[in-house]
Amino acid sequence: MNDYGITWKHLASLILAVGATALVIEQAPAGDEAIFPMPAGKTYVNECGSCHTAFAPGLLPARSWRRMMAELANHFGEDASLDEPQHLAILKDLESLAADGPQANLRMRRISAAIPANAAPQRIIETGYFKYMHDEVPRHIWQRKKIGTPGNCIACHIRANEGRYGQGEVRIPPP
Amino acid sequence: MKRLIPLFALCIGLPAAAQTPQLILESLVAKAGPASVARGEQLYRGKSKAGKTADSCVACHTENPKAVGQHVKTFKAIDPLAPVAQKDRFTDPAKVEKWFKRNCQEVLDRPCTPQEKADFTAYMISVK
Repeated sequence: MNDYGITWKHLASLILAVGATALVIEQAPAGDEAIFPMPAGKTYVNECGSCHTAFAPGLLPARSWRRMMAELANHFGEDASLDEPQHLAILKDLESLAADGPQANLRMRRISAAIPANAAPQRIIETGYFKYMHDEVPRHIWQRKKIGTPGNCIACHIRANEGRYGQGEVRIPPP
Repeated sequence: MKRLIPLFALCIGLPAAAQTPQLILESLVAKAGPASVARGEQLYRGKSKAGKTADSCVACHTENPKAVGQHVKTFKAIDPLAPVAQKDRFTDPAKVEKWFKRNCQEVLDRPCTPQEKADFTAYMISVK
C-alpha cells in the first residue's frame, strides 16, 4: 500500500477502535454530572425537605440513615417525628438508595468507601467525600447570607432536591 | 353506568382535600371562638423565652409575612407564609396542623390552643 507498511487492515482496525471508544464516551455521563437517585413521589421532599435540603440518600450509608430515623424525636435538637406510614416509607427509600445500597453507583460507592465501617456519620458535611469535593470553597463564600452553612446544599446546588449536584448546575448566590 | 358511580365519586372527592384559607379558618374558628387578627399578629411577632432554636415566628419567617424567610439553623429559604404572597399557604389542613404542631412546640415549648391557631390564621389571611 505504501512505504510505511500500513495496510487497509491496520486502517480498518484503527477506525473501528476509534469508533468503539467514541460510542463508550458518548454513553458515559459527563465527568461533572453528580446525579443521585431520589425517592419516588413527594413524601421525601415534603417531609425531609422543608427545614433543610432533601439530601440525597446516596450521600450517607444505610447505617447513618437508620440511626437518624431512630433518633428523629431529637433531630439535631428538634422533634422531627413522623407518622408511622411516612416513617416506614422514608426509611425503606433511604436504605435502598443509600451510598452502600444495592443500586449504588460509582460515586456513591466512593462516598461509602471513605466512611469507616464502625462510623455512622449524621452530618454529610463531616464525611471525607464532602470535604474533598468542597476544599476549594473559601470560608467567606459559606458565610454569605443565603448560604450560611455548608449543609445548605440547595443554596448553591439549585436542583439538589432532585438529586442533582453537578458542577454545571451550581449557582453561588451573590454576597 | 352504576359501576362507574364510585369512580365519579372518587374524582370529585380528590380535589376536595385542597381547601381555601377561608375554609381552613372557618374550621379552626369552629373549634375555638371568633378569631382576632390583632391577637394573631401578637402571636406572630411575640418573643418566647421557651424557644430552643427560634424565639419567635419572625425569627425564621421575618417581620414581613410576605417575604421569603430563612431557617435560623439550616439557612434554607422558606416560602412566604402569607397566602397573598404564596398561594398554596393555608390550603392543606393536614399541612397547617403539622406546622402548628412542629413550630408551636419549637417556639413556645407547648402545643398552640385552637384559639391561637384561629387567631394566627386570621392574621395571615388579613395580610394584604
